[in-house]
Amino acid sequence: MTGHYCDFKNADVILTSGSNNLENHPVSSKWVQRALDKGATWIVVDPRFTRTAAQADIYCPIRSGTDIAFYGGMINYIIENDLWQHEYVEHYTNATFIMEDGYEFDPETGLFSGWDDAKGAYDKHTWHYAVEQETEWDTSESGSYAWVKGKGVPKFTPPKVQVARKDPTMQNPMCVWQLMKKHYSRYTIDKVCEICGMDAETLEQVYAAYASTGAPEKSGTILYALGQTQHTYGTNNTRIMSLVQLILGNAGIAGGGLNALRGEPNVQGATDMAMLVFDFPGYLRWPNVSESPSLRKWCESQTYYGGYYTNKPKFMVSALKEWFGENATVDNDYCYDLLPKVPANGGDYTTMGTFHLMDSGVMKGYFAWGQNPVVSDPNSAFNRRAMSKLEWLVVADWVETATASFWRAPDMTPEDIQTEVYFLPAALIYEKMGTIANSGRWLQWRYKAADPVGEARPDYEIADMLWSKIVELYKAEGGPSAESITNVKWDYYIDGKIDPRAVAWGFNGYNVEGTDFASGKVDLLPAFASLKADGSTSCAIWIYGGYYNNADAPLDPAEQPVGRRGHDDPGELGLYPQWAFSWPANRRIIYNRASADANGKPWNPDRVLVEWDGKEWATRNDVPDFVFQTTNADGTTTPVAPNDNAFFMKPEQHANFISYGLADAALPEHYEPFETPMKENLLNARLNSPCVKFGDHESVKKGDVETYPIVATTYSITEHWQTGAQTRMCPALDEISPKQFIEMSPELAQEKGIGNGDDVRVFNNRGSVVLKALVTRRIVPLEVNGQTIHEVGMIHHWDWTNRYSSDDNVVNDLTPNVGDPNSFIPEFKAFLVDVEKA
Amino acid sequence: MAEGKAILYDASRCSACKGCQVACKCWNLLPSPMEKNTQEWNGSMQCPPDLNHRTRLIITFDEADNGKKYGINWAFGRRACMHCTDAACVMACPSGCLYHDEETGMVSFDRDKCIGCKYCAMACPFDVPRHIGGGGLFSGDAKINKCTGCIDRIKNGRAPACVTTCQPGALQFGDREDMLSIAKERVELLKAKGFESAQVYGEEQVGGTHVLHVLKYPLEQYELPENPQVSPLIGVMNWMKPILGVGAVALVGGLGISFLTGVGYKRHEMHYDEVNHDIIDVETGEVVRHIDKEAGER
Amino acid sequence: MAKRYIQRHSLQTRITHGLVMGSCVWLMISGLFVFVPYFANIGSGGLVQFMRISHRVVGCIFILAPIVSAILAPKGFKKFLAKYFAKWTPQDKEFMKKFVPYMLGPKRVHMPDQDEVKSGQRIADGMLIIGGIMMAISGVVLWLGMSVFHAPAGVVTVMRFIHDLFFLVLVVFVVAHAYLGAGVFQPYRRTKQLMFGNGQVAESDALYHWGFWAREELEKGENVVER
Repeated sequence: MTGHYCDFKNADVILTSGSNNLENHPVSSKWVQRALDKGATWIVVDPRFTRTAAQADIYCPIRSGTDIAFYGGMINYIIENDLWQHEYVEHYTNATFIMEDGYEFDPETGLFSGWDDAKGAYDKHTWHYAVEQETEWDTSESGSYAWVKGKGVPKFTPPKVQVARKDPTMQNPMCVWQLMKKHYSRYTIDKVCEICGMDAETLEQVYAAYASTGAPEKSGTILYALGQTQHTYGTNNTRIMSLVQLILGNAGIAGGGLNALRGEPNVQGATDMAMLVFDFPGYLRWPNVSESPSLRKWCESQTYYGGYYTNKPKFMVSALKEWFGENATVDNDYCYDLLPKVPANGGDYTTMGTFHLMDSGVMKGYFAWGQNPVVSDPNSAFNRRAMSKLEWLVVADWVETATASFWRAPDMTPEDIQTEVYFLPAALIYEKMGTIANSGRWLQWRYKAADPVGEARPDYEIADMLWSKIVELYKAEGGPSAESITNVKWDYYIDGKIDPRAVAWGFNGYNVEGTDFASGKVDLLPAFASLKADGSTSCAIWIYGGYYNNADAPLDPAEQPVGRRGHDDPGELGLYPQWAFSWPANRRIIYNRASADANGKPWNPDRVLVEWDGKEWATRNDVPDFVFQTTNADGTTTPVAPNDNAFFMKPEQHANFISYGLADAALPEHYEPFETPMKENLLNARLNSPCVKFGDHESVKKGDVETYPIVATTYSITEHWQTGAQTRMCPALDEISPKQFIEMSPELAQEKGIGNGDDVRVFNNRGSVVLKALVTRRIVPLEVNGQTIHEVGMIHHWDWTNRYSSDDNVVNDLTPNVGDPNSFIPEFKAFLVDVEKA
Repeated sequence: MAEGKAILYDASRCSACKGCQVACKCWNLLPSPMEKNTQEWNGSMQCPPDLNHRTRLIITFDEADNGKKYGINWAFGRRACMHCTDAACVMACPSGCLYHDEETGMVSFDRDKCIGCKYCAMACPFDVPRHIGGGGLFSGDAKINKCTGCIDRIKNGRAPACVTTCQPGALQFGDREDMLSIAKERVELLKAKGFESAQVYGEEQVGGTHVLHVLKYPLEQYELPENPQVSPLIGVMNWMKPILGVGAVALVGGLGISFLTGVGYKRHEMHYDEVNHDIIDVETGEVVRHIDKEAGER
Repeated sequence: MAKRYIQRHSLQTRITHGLVMGSCVWLMISGLFVFVPYFANIGSGGLVQFMRISHRVVGCIFILAPIVSAILAPKGFKKFLAKYFAKWTPQDKEFMKKFVPYMLGPKRVHMPDQDEVKSGQRIADGMLIIGGIMMAISGVVLWLGMSVFHAPAGVVTVMRFIHDLFFLVLVVFVVAHAYLGAGVFQPYRRTKQLMFGNGQVAESDALYHWGFWAREELEKGENVVER
């Protein structure tokens, strides 16, 4: 999230799409209600009329998987009706930038320029700006980049500063604005309705309501969740929402932003910590064999020519110091070479790929740690079969999950499975202390409330026990890449026990000189701005810098920013800067420079995040997310007058409409879901995204509309949590939602002879499940391209480990194990099935 | 007019997450079924479908046409004790188990005093009280179960458990007067938004309830009676106890006087000569009376 | 001279009456534990629960005893009913007129001859019978309707009212009945023999209480015992 849940209250219009925020993020309801109390309009776009829709002002149905068409149409509507925020777009975005010659999108092929059919990938050189001029970093002693030449800093060639060609009038046909305008001109109201299935009147009502936030003083926020991301083009779904927010001037302002609602169990923290194949903690890139085989190559390929990411070498060197401690020196490239490198086929090691590797016998062992893939991952019956080929499986969880008991699934034959399964009982969140990161990037300290039950241990204790034994074995017996193991710094002990407070020191960062974990003496850094690339600082995850920085009380989280409990709210915008710590640098709303106009005057005087008073940025209700002053050699500061560099995490410091960042599109373009009821894509000649991941794997067994005419989607309900391993164990939660159901329209039910409450068999090429029918007018058949399309929705919280019910159906047996080429997220939200009365 | 405290349920803010149902169970230590498959599927999100002996609060769901192309009028309601000022259950309770808390107006109960007669369940116009145990013909150990307004929490300065857990602020707790004005303001807003049937429920009903509802849709979409009434018989029955007391004393007194007047009563032993039809005083031998059969005497 | 007695009640009648009387008293006492808040709070709950369960068990006796008796002796039952629905004679009416003065001055006020069942008795016993039937019906509805069935709340409330109302009625007539029937009222001494003794009434007492009936019986002689 760019803001926080509390920030919803500042919005004039709230658009919930691809999310069921009242049900699945109940806390959001409090802040949405506060906005409504102040007169806000709330729009819900969803295939189902959800409990969220029930309380919204405007409800608009949509066929699952057509969000880009919906938002593309909105962009077209905004441009055609001149509802966009002119000053914002002209100053803070790359609308005025001119693209490289050859950039093109061709609706006749459905492809952007640079498609290489043999590789099945884009050559993206035409997705860059036309460069007017190249300049060099000033690395002289008095220069801004003098640190590059400093002692201890790894050698690398700084990037060339590329000054793009621009057209401030935005008339040049190759400028980003004109290209975008042209791109979305195909997305007319009629076309969008034909694809998405709603009627034009409702669609226009939604567009008009949301586009009203293009007025400079108005703010609109978009709440989304897995309904947007879990598609073969999920990353582009999120990008097109960013585009809408930028064109309306809604990014970086109070009550605006693009808000991915995350759940309780630290999803935000997991991504911060880089639980993804290609990521390094703090959203850096993990070393890989092609672009960063050495530290020098890493610095050269990753360091931006402008903006804050010019500092990436500082983050990486400090991180390496934390990984390898005193073993990391400038002479050995800070042990960079000891880090494993992501291979060229790195994508094969993402979640879905691991099951392919198990199936083909490559992967012989598997850790499922707080994860339940045989229920939560797509095509889970295939996953179970693949897992049965494992030699060993370790499951760490607090109950025996379906994954731990995959061998006794109804479709398994236990006597044929040789997999040795180890179960490590893990402590609950309430049985251990540590940091939790919530949707709004707040890091909060959680204290232990109770001792773990039985032999259960906190994850960090389990990890420590494993690690200690592994290191011991490597030291005694050696082995491949032994030094990658034996050189690692692992000293997170307090009073001889592994302790998250010591881990917090490593996360926050400290001066290496003057720090000794063993004696409990740590010279904690105030913020990540103090990080250096010369090995003098150590920090495992730069974005957390400053969250645990009180060196006077390193053992007391309550005395640290992470443990703050202050209620101050300057500006009364729900920022609460004295409550916990929001990374980065305790910023509550990122890109907040964009909350004020080019002269630093807030768009809305009632929603001031930062304000330039003519001499300095005098009002700073939030921590500025831009260079607002410079520090002189004598320690005094000089204010920096307003400029257009509102997005300083980008090299050009402007928000991107067209971007080369994603693998599959420079501008989000509508493609149909992998399994679609459509025979053709009504917007371009290509039915599916050219970059769908794993679509050709034999396990996928793509279904077609003739055999499986019904669109299906999956979702959670408020009563249960994900695979239900935790919630199905709670009698009170089983009582309020006892059965796994499928929602369908009365029309479909009648067609199939199904009554409310009946057992329904749902099936496709991958699997078949029997669920309870919930026949409701909350789902309507949609008119899509002149045809009636039925959609059904299923919850997916059950498996054979139920304590209070005998329902052993796994809904994810039906979902296709195909995914997005950027995030490798599976397409849970739109696929094909058929149903019959069971 | 009812004073004291009130719980305000604003149906137009409720997200029907049922968090209140669970919070109620947790705080009040009410168990859920622990056996397999006890919960049937009834084709609705309303689970359990009604209050039961271990469920004091449920959120109700009702779907109605909204006259538009998309969406429906999906009414979320709250079904639990209304904490009436004129509480029929308190009036009906013979043992003093159910009581009206003077300070807050909440209707609570002292479990130890419940004798399991279930008169409260029969008297309640909202069909709220349920009983734990006592289902069989000869089991007399039923104990009442219903919302207490979390009086134990209120008395210690906290809001009821359901209110505390509510995220959208659909449940609020405070002085009844304040809750009522919030409710009325909200209804005005809803009407302005086009919800013509929006209304406050509980302001006047049964003496004013200490649970107030803001209803967004027509009343029939909520499981609330249109005109809740306390049966007049319940009042009459409560008069019977003093009447019986007074009557019994008067009767015993009267009979006492009668007894006194009869003390020392004696009569001569009689004999009937069935041949001559004479009644003869055995002691004196005199014929006291002759029955003239011919004249039709018997 | 041997004294003469008239056999007024059979053994079956006396047993039936005894069962009904005993159960009625117990029902009244145990009923108080639901009816009166003070009683409901006596003890730790065990006593109240015992009383409530006994109310149901004894209620069964109260209802079944007369029904079984009627089935065993259908003729007697018919005769029994006939007596209560007999036509009122002038003496019957006179009896009722004189009833209160008589109760407060039996030495001065004298009653006219009566048939087998006095008019006052017909009213009093009639109220006991009607009251008993109403209590039985309402009691059974309350009991079953709140345990094995789920009776409508309105029905239950009405039944409760009936149960309470006839409790009031029964208290009055049971006490009055006992006052006279057990012979606490001096002119009625020895009447307890009729239900609690051998069921026989002495010739002299019979002539006093039920003149018409006594003379008839003495003339017929079949129920007359001499000893």
